Amino acid sequence: MKVIIGADAKGYALKEHLKNYLTDKGYDVVDKTPEKDLDLFESASRVAKAIQQGEGDRGIAIDEYGAGSFMVATKYKGVICAETSDEHSSKMTRSHNNASMITLGSGIVSERLAEGCADAFIENEYAGGRHQVRVDMLNRMC
Amino acid sequence: MKVAIGCDHIVTEIKDHMVEYLKEEGYDVIDVGTYDKVRTHYPIYGRKVGAAVASGEADLGVTICGTGVGITNSVNKVKGIRAALVRDVGTAVYARKHLNANVIGMGGRISGVGLIENIVDAFLEAKYEPTPESEALVAKIDSIPMNDEANTNEHIFDEYNKKWDEGFYHD
Repeated sequence: MKVIIGADAKGYALKEHLKNYLTDKGYDVVDKTPEKDLDLFESASRVAKAIQQGEGDRGIAIDEYGAGSFMVATKYKGVICAETSDEHSSKMTRSHNNASMITLGSGIVSERLAEGCADAFIENEYAGGRHQVRVDMLNRMC
Repeated sequence: MKVAIGCDHIVTEIKDHMVEYLKEEGYDVIDVGTYDKVRTHYPIYGRKVGAAVASGEADLGVTICGTGVGITNSVNKVKGIRAALVRDVGTAVYARKHLNANVIGMGGRISGVGLIENIVDAFLEAKYEPTPESEALVAKIDSIPMNDEANTNEHIFDEYNKKWDEGFYHD
């Protein structure tokens, strides 16, 4: 399981925390944003493009609210992304949407909640079946 | 102010509640559906909200599905839309004020109806406050290459609806 991660300036500290947390759990974590001073367009674009090109299984993008990274990521064709601040959405978006990315707000979620969202997102798999018609429709767009 | 609102079949009753709620507050509401509990597909309604807002037919949009993820992905994949998917009022206000968000998305199985009312009220009442930084960020988001077929092609999903009707997609 390869996890692509990235953050803007305000998400940098939470990104470092999650990177260590996920690495300790045995995941292969690729940090696309070693810089501390990126804006959310650059950080979210780097993660989304890596996911779009199949460089990893899951993507996590962090900024202060998670909203800007979500706007950016969903504009890339074939990228399905959840802006999340709860574990249930992080789980269900894998199961029903086949999301390959989540975005988190460092000002919105705590370290523990971010860990819970990341766990739920990484550990759950896509259910397919009837949900695939909606995923096909999403992938037809933009 | 004219507000476009859409949902999938999981949360129709919440969308219906919000339609009445917003009308009572004096908003003009464009309800793009769905209108019942028959199983359907969230991109159909996300696309409709996006097309209404992007064309100027509506000023702002609201999208709701189970988690909000599916329908808010589909609305954001319409050119000209900047949608946030939230579970708190603060993020909704930030997105409107600083990212010039024009659609707000929520999960009807995630947030209670009181919080949904509060989020939508705050989002609709907030104003974009442009700064050089926010203008630059919005311009970059809008510059991501994407086609505008979803804005105008009402038949974009026909092939998938046909396959669904033929039983191609099953659990």
